[in-house]
Amino acid sequence: MRKRKNLTDLDQDIRDHIERETEDNIDRGMSPEEARAAALRKFGNVSLVKEDTWRVWNPVWLEQLLQDLRYCARTLRRSPAFTVVVTLTLAVAIGMNTAAFSIVNAVLLKPLTYSNPDRWVWVANYNRQFKNELVSGPDFLDWRAQAQSFEGLAGYDYQDSTIATGESATEERIAQVSNEFWQLSGAQTTAGRLPRAEDQDALLLTARFFERRFGGDPRVIGSTVTLEGRPVTIVGVLAPGFRFLLPMQQSFNDRREIEAYTPLGISPETEIRGGPTAVIHVAGKLKPGVALEQARAEIETIQARIAKANPEWFYGDFQVHVDPLQEKLVGSSRPALMVLSAAAALVLLIACANVVSLLLARASARRREVAIRAAAGAGKGRVFRQFFAEGMLLAAMGGAAGVLVAYGAMATILRLSRNAVPRIGEAVIDGRVLAFTAAISIGVAIVFGFAPAISLWKTNLHSTLKDGARTFSASSTSLRFRGLLVAGELALAVVLLVGAGLLVKSFRLMNSHPPGFAPERVLVMTVVLSGPAYAGRPAQEAYMTEVLRRIESVPGVEAAGISNPFMQGVAKVEGKPAPSRGQPPQMVTFSMASAAYGKAIGMQLVKGRWTTDGEPARVLVINRSFARRIFDSEDPLGRRIRVPGALGDEEPYATVVGIVDDLKHSKLDAEPQPEVLVPYKQSPFLRGANVTVRVAGDPLVVAPALRQLISEIDKSQPVYDVKTLEEALADSIAPRRFNLYLLGTLATVALLLAVIGVYGVIAYSVAQRTHEIGVRMALGATRPEVIGMVVRQGLGVALAGIGIGVAGAFMLTRMMESLLYQVKPTDPQTFAAVAIALTLTALIASWGPALKAALVDPVIALRCE
Amino acid sequence: MLLPRMSTKGDPGRIELLQGTLDLLILRTLLLGPAHGHAICKTIERSSDDVLQVEQGSLYPALHRLIKRGWITFDEGTSENNRRAKYYRLTAKGRKQLELETSRWDKLARAIAQILRPT
Repeated sequence: MRKRKNLTDLDQDIRDHIERETEDNIDRGMSPEEARAAALRKFGNVSLVKEDTWRVWNPVWLEQLLQDLRYCARTLRRSPAFTVVVTLTLAVAIGMNTAAFSIVNAVLLKPLTYSNPDRWVWVANYNRQFKNELVSGPDFLDWRAQAQSFEGLAGYDYQDSTIATGESATEERIAQVSNEFWQLSGAQTTAGRLPRAEDQDALLLTARFFERRFGGDPRVIGSTVTLEGRPVTIVGVLAPGFRFLLPMQQSFNDRREIEAYTPLGISPETEIRGGPTAVIHVAGKLKPGVALEQARAEIETIQARIAKANPEWFYGDFQVHVDPLQEKLVGSSRPALMVLSAAAALVLLIACANVVSLLLARASARRREVAIRAAAGAGKGRVFRQFFAEGMLLAAMGGAAGVLVAYGAMATILRLSRNAVPRIGEAVIDGRVLAFTAAISIGVAIVFGFAPAISLWKTNLHSTLKDGARTFSASSTSLRFRGLLVAGELALAVVLLVGAGLLVKSFRLMNSHPPGFAPERVLVMTVVLSGPAYAGRPAQEAYMTEVLRRIESVPGVEAAGISNPFMQGVAKVEGKPAPSRGQPPQMVTFSMASAAYGKAIGMQLVKGRWTTDGEPARVLVINRSFARRIFDSEDPLGRRIRVPGALGDEEPYATVVGIVDDLKHSKLDAEPQPEVLVPYKQSPFLRGANVTVRVAGDPLVVAPALRQLISEIDKSQPVYDVKTLEEALADSIAPRRFNLYLLGTLATVALLLAVIGVYGVIAYSVAQRTHEIGVRMALGATRPEVIGMVVRQGLGVALAGIGIGVAGAFMLTRMMESLLYQVKPTDPQTFAAVAIALTLTALIASWGPALKAALVDPVIALRCE
Repeated sequence: MLLPRMSTKGDPGRIELLQGTLDLLILRTLLLGPAHGHAICKTIERSSDDVLQVEQGSLYPALHRLIKRGWITFDEGTSENNRRAKYYRLTAKGRKQLELETSRWDKLARAIAQILRPT
C-alpha cells in the first residue's frame, strides 16, 4: 500500500524535475529546445531511473519470480494437454489427501466440542464374562454421591421412541441424560431453556429436529407432546452446533441421529439393588488437575465398598474402566482412518511419480531451449529457478483444483456414510485443512522443481547446441530414471490394490448368503406400540395379528412375518445341569416370530417343522448355532427350553420342534449367534415388532402402500425404518462399507495413474527410438520382433515394480488386520489376483506403443533425424 | 545496478561519487530544511562548487531508498511559482543516521588521508 502511494507520483515528479531544469537552462540563456535537451541529458535514462526506483520497493527476486511465472504460464498455455493432465492428476491426488485429512482432523484431532474436552472421561463397569461395559443405576448414584475426583458425573441412555403430536406420530432417537450433563458440557440453547433438576417430563429439542418436525415455530416451546404415551413439555431448543458426543453401542451407528433429550429418570428412591434397576452409561468431567489413574482408583475403591456391602450380587466379575471420552468415542475408528490416510498418501506419491516422469520428458525436450538461455547469459541458478517456477505453478493449480475435488469428495462421503464414523459430520474444509493442502502442494512443488533441474544439471551446453537434435546418451539416462519411477508407482499401486482387494474379499464373505435369501426382495419396517391403549397384552396381540392379516392380503406379497428379539439370556435346558461357575455361560437371543417369518426372511428349515400361529402347546424353533453349542451332538428335537420372562403361572418350558439354518439377518460382520424363535402369541413381550415382507417384484414399489396399510390400523402408532433388507444389512456394516468405498476409490485411482505412467514411459521411449527401430527394421527385424522388444521392455519394468509391491504389501497389510473379516492380511489369493491383474494391465499399456513401433516405416524413420 | 550514477563525461574537473555517498549527501542537504528533488540536486552541486555533479535521475532511486528505510519522508506542497512539488524532509531517525554516517565518513577520510599523505 505504502509502495503504491510512493510510486504513483513518480512520473509526475520526474516530469516536474525536468521542467525545472529546463527553466533553469532557459534562464541561463539557452533556447527552449536546447534547454530541454540539456535537461534530459543531465537527468539520464528516464526509464532506467523509473525501473531502479521501482526496484527499491520490489526486490529483484520477486520481480524475477513474477517474470518466471509469467513465462511459465505462457509455456504451459502452449502445451495444454500436458497442463491439463498434470493439473487433473494433482487435483485428484491432492483432493483425496485433503478430504482424508479433513476427516482425520474432525474425528481424531479436533477436541470434543464440550467445555474442557480434555477432562471428559467415560466410566463403566466392564463385565469380564459378558464383555460389555454397563453401569447399573444404584452404582451410578453411589459414584455420583461419593467420588471427589469429578466435577460431575452424568448418566445417559438412548433409544428410539415414539413422539406424538396431535395426529402424527414418528419414531425418533432420543437420549436421556441426567441434568449434570448440561452444566458440564456448557451446552447453549437458542430458545427456551435447558432442563432443570425439578422437571422430569421435559423435552429438549436439537436445532435440526426443531426445524424438521416443528418448522422452527417458537410457539411449540412450553407445549406438550407425547413421548412413548407419556406427556412431556418442550422446554427449549439447543444451539445448532451442539452435538451428541457420547459413545453409543455399535448397533446405533446407523444413519439416525439423536433428535431430542429428556432427563434420565433415575433417583435413589427407584434404584434399589435387587429391584428393577436402570442400566445406563456414564460420562463425567474430572476436576482440574485430577489424573485419570486417580479417578480410576477412587471409583475402584467405591466399587469395592459396594461389592463388600452387597455380597449377594456378582460384583466379582466386574472391573472398573475409566477412559478419556474422546478415545472411547473415536478410538475404534483410528486404524481405519490411518489406513485411509496412508492410502491417500500413496496415491499422492504415485501421482507425483507420474508428473515427475512427464516433467523429465519435457525437460529433455527442452534441453535446447535451456542451452540457448544459458548461452544468452542466464546463470544456472536462474535457469533452475525457471523450473521451480514451473513446479510451483503446476502445484498451485493442482492444489487449488484439489480443494474443489475435496469439496466434492466430502459431500459424497458424508452422503454415503453419515454415521459410519463418529464425529464425521463435523468434517469441514477449514483453515487447518487448507493449511495442510498448502503444505503438501509446496512439497509437491519442490519435488517438481528439483527433478528436471537435477536431470539437466550435467547438461553440456556446448554439445547440446552443436548436436542440434536430441542426443541419445543423456535421454536414455533420463529414461532409465523414468523407468524406475514407473516401477515405483506400480509397487505402490500393488500395495493399495492388495489392501482394497482384502477389503473386497472381506465384504464378499460378509455378504455371502445362502441361496434363496435374496435380501433385495425383502422389505423390513418397524412398528412400536406406545400409549395406555396398548398397555395390555390383548391389545398388543390384536394389533400384531391385524398387521399380519393386512399385509398378507396385499397382492405381490409372497410371505410376511413379524419378529423381535426380546431378550438375551442364558439358555436353560430341562435335564441339563447349569454351567459351572467360572465357565462363561452361553448367551442366546430369544426372539418372537410369527409362523411365516422364517419363510419371509429366507430361513431354511433343517430338521423338524415350523411353528404355526395357533400352537396349542408351548413350542419353539432353534437355529443351528444353538443346536451345536448347547446340545452338541444330542438331538434337540423334543427337548424343552426355558423361555425367560414367562408370566405368572405359565408353563416356563417350551418344546423344540424345529431347527433352522443360521442366517445373518441383522448384522453382516457378526458370527451367527445361538437364537430361539418363540411363536409370537406365546412371547412374553409384544410391544414392538420388525415386519418382514418378501415380495415378488421391487419391494420399494409396494413399500408406501404397505406402510400406509399398517399405519391406518392406528394413526397414533408410527411405522418407521422402512427399507429393503439389503439396505438394512448394508447399514449394519456401515463403517466397513465406508472403508471399502474409500480404499476402493483410492486403489482405483492408483491403478489408473499407474497405467498412465506405464503407457507414458513406453510411448515416450518408442518415440525416442524411432530412428533406432527404423535401423533395426532396415536390417531385417520383423514386426513381431519389434513388438516383442517394446513389450518386453515394458513388462520388465512392470514386473520389477509389481515384485517390490507384493513384498511391500506383505509387510504393510497387517496394519489393516482389524478391518478385515475372515480374511488373513496375507491372503495369497488376493495377492496373486492383484499381481496378475497388474501384469496384464501393464501388458496392455505397453501394447499400444509397441504396435505403433511396429508400424514404423523404416524409410521415414531413417530420414527423420 | 543500484549505484548512484555520476556524470563525469568530458569534464576532468568533476569526480565520481563513492558508493553510498549520494545518500549521505541527500541527508546532509535535507538537514538545512525540506526541499524538492530538483532543489536537492542544485544544492549538492552548488555546495561542492560544482565539483560533484549528480546525474539527476539517480536521485530518485536514492530518495525512495531513504524513504523505505524511514530516514526521510515527504509532504505535498507548492513551489515558488505555485507548482505542485514533493518536499522531502529528514525524520528523527534520519537525523541520527546522518550523525552516524558523518562520523563514519570522517573516520574513513582521515584514514585514507593518512595513508596517502603520511606525516
